[in-house]
Amino acid sequence: MAVLAMRRISIYGMKAQRKDVLDMLQRRGVVEIIQQPPDGRFSEELDTRTDIDRFQADQRAAEQALEILDVYCPAKKSMLSALEGRRRISPEEYGKSAERVADTGAAAYSIIKLARELEDCRAEQLRLHSKLEELAPWLELDISMELRGTRETAVFIGTFPQLMTREDILTRLAEMAPEASAVEAEVLSTQPQQTCVFVLCLKDNRDVVETALRAMGFSWPQNPGKDPPSKQAADISVQIKSNEETITVVEEKLKGYGSQREELCFLHDYCSMQIEKCEVLSILRQSRRTFIITGYVPAKNVAELEEELTKSFTVFVETEEPEEDEETPVVLENNGFASPMEPVLEGYGLPTRGEVDPCTPMACFYYILFGLMLSDAAYGLIMTVGCAIVLSKFKNMESGLKKSLKMFLYSGISTMFWGIMFGSYFGDAITVISSTFFGRTVTIPALWFVPLNEPMRLLVFSFLIGIIHLFVGLGVKFYQCVKAGQWKDAVYDVVFWYLLVGGGIVYLLTMDMASEMLGLGFTLPKLCGTVAAICAGTGAAGILLTSGRDSKNPGKRLLKGIYGLYNVSGYLSDILSYSRLLALGLATGVIASVFNQMGAMIGGGPVGAVVFAVVFIIGHTLNIGINVLGAYVHTNRLQYVEFFGKFYEGGGKKFRPFAAHTKYYKIKEENKS
Amino acid sequence: MTFMEILNNMGVPLALLGAVLAALLSGIGSAIGVGMAGEAAAGALTEDPSKFGKVLILQLLPGTQGIYGLLIAFLTLSNIGILGGSADISFIKGLLYFCACLPMGFVGLWSAKSQARASVASINMLSRKPDQFGKSIILPAMVETYAVLALLVSLLAVANIGKLPL
Repeated sequence: MAVLAMRRISIYGMKAQRKDVLDMLQRRGVVEIIQQPPDGRFSEELDTRTDIDRFQADQRAAEQALEILDVYCPAKKSMLSALEGRRRISPEEYGKSAERVADTGAAAYSIIKLARELEDCRAEQLRLHSKLEELAPWLELDISMELRGTRETAVFIGTFPQLMTREDILTRLAEMAPEASAVEAEVLSTQPQQTCVFVLCLKDNRDVVETALRAMGFSWPQNPGKDPPSKQAADISVQIKSNEETITVVEEKLKGYGSQREELCFLHDYCSMQIEKCEVLSILRQSRRTFIITGYVPAKNVAELEEELTKSFTVFVETEEPEEDEETPVVLENNGFASPMEPVLEGYGLPTRGEVDPCTPMACFYYILFGLMLSDAAYGLIMTVGCAIVLSKFKNMESGLKKSLKMFLYSGISTMFWGIMFGSYFGDAITVISSTFFGRTVTIPALWFVPLNEPMRLLVFSFLIGIIHLFVGLGVKFYQCVKAGQWKDAVYDVVFWYLLVGGGIVYLLTMDMASEMLGLGFTLPKLCGTVAAICAGTGAAGILLTSGRDSKNPGKRLLKGIYGLYNVSGYLSDILSYSRLLALGLATGVIASVFNQMGAMIGGGPVGAVVFAVVFIIGHTLNIGINVLGAYVHTNRLQYVEFFGKFYEGGGKKFRPFAAHTKYYKIKEENKS
Repeated sequence: MTFMEILNNMGVPLALLGAVLAALLSGIGSAIGVGMAGEAAAGALTEDPSKFGKVLILQLLPGTQGIYGLLIAFLTLSNIGILGGSADISFIKGLLYFCACLPMGFVGLWSAKSQARASVASINMLSRKPDQFGKSIILPAMVETYAVLALLVSLLAVANIGKLPL
């Protein structure tokens, strides 16, 4: 129900027990440790950067190893595994696994090494295959491609960059080098852009033939290799095969590490815990034999923590009230009804010192506003049942997610309520189905009224809700001011506005025009109008005179007063902003009806029923998605802008206790819930 | 055929033009908007794919205008009797329907585009400060207010024109 009171805690102890004390504090997770300037003898600083680096390296290794394992032996994960939350382990299990972290770390590194090996093998494999392809055109040749000639002859082994036949080569050679008499050529292989050839001539004619060949575009091969091409190819094939075997072996080895997955997860968490501990160690004040821990602890945990600390260790624990103007970290505690608002509130900013926790009034309106915007009984039922099933199935869920789901659960109930009030069940599905397939019209009458038939009525109701919402916001401000003893501010900033806005609204209701326009069907008597006008006048005068009370200069004060009074337009736009309740409420119903009508366009009969079912399922799924998003966003807006604008600033610092901030495992406490 | 008869035959086309404009303009706006936000979203996801859920919501925000446009269009179509019933309304009523559809069409187009720009900025913010989701969603939602107001005006007008004795 409130922002928890914090106490400052100081723990004085002997260095010999430092580790155990920190371990215990980390497991309890109720103390936020803060840095204090070193003083006097308590000036020893512990440099933990190397340890932190080591743990971070191990943590990264565990992460990488887990990623590798996910590729080579993926764990079976269900779609909903994200909802399961961290697995619980007992302190004994923790201790056992902690003894094995060295082995696990080694395993992580060998997994990474194996993966690298595998990568290298794969790269090598690619290289070999491309080499094999390069050799393919030369396979006909049964001598080394490096051969340049024998005692009497000169040999040219190489390629032309175009398609050529033996005749082409010989004719062109005869033309270009007529003096070379005994020339023989053999085409080894041809492709459209490359002809591999073997040309033989007498040694004496080498130069002329070479010049002629060059002129024809001849070039020597890039990597000839000592052995004949066929032998080279055979060797490469053997290499490829052995490489393949290595890959299988390494893959098998990697798969063998699959059983280490949980240990690796543990290593990851273990490192996170150690890193956090090292960070704390580096900010502790220490002397040669002693240490001091200073921090904040929620007041309700003080007694228990103090008892436990003094019982198990030789330490001295001291707690004190934080000073008046000290920014203490904020932690909220609310009952089941209001706690789902905490993530929403955190999205805006936590309360600062002196501000109240607005979760309870927020919750009341949140569910109502959400329900009004979605306002369909069937959609509400789906939301409620869906959230209830997930919540009951996954008990270990992380608390943030749990709160959000609870918020949707309550909002779903409210949606159901308003759906019944406005007679909307999948829009007008019941009417459409009954008239299309059963030939008679059945409708479930609205318990209150049908918004599409009387939109003005819902608009007025939306404004009414809005006015109440805004006035409650002002009320919270009043409470805040009174709590802080600022009675004057409470009157100036809240009561005057109540008088002005409230009086103005009541005065409006005494006018015939307003009541006719809004379709109220009543006008308040003239006497009310007079009283209301006096109230509004008092409020306006008060605001005019007090808005600028911070300024000494009377002229400036008056100007600020006029500006303050101008804020009344802000109230007008705030109230009009609640018309979105009507717009979004109608949107849900009308879009639902659109889909129902689309489905029913084919008419009755079995084909019609199938078409209707398909359109119905797709359409309503879409509609739920879009309108839940819309309702969520606009409810948040009404809370953040209209409601918080009246009293709340936020900007408090979140309580971040020294604890085990793990990813996979959560250590169960034997003597604490 | 007298001039008045021709004029009276123009009732349904005019109303239809309004309905079509509502769906057309706000549909275009939303398509542009969701596209713009989608590009930014894809960029944010290349850095951190785990933000998909949050980024998707921000991408969808400028998409609602298209739905509101569809809603007005459909309501108009069904009120003027094009979806079954007799499509027979006077010139004046046709003109009224046409006017009633305009806020949704124009505001839908413009607000979707502006909202998309706010969404893009929010997506960029989210990739730097992932914990500020609550704030990032509110900034584009501010723009949506005006689409909702336009929807409200169009909706109230379209729903009530039929009851006028014209």
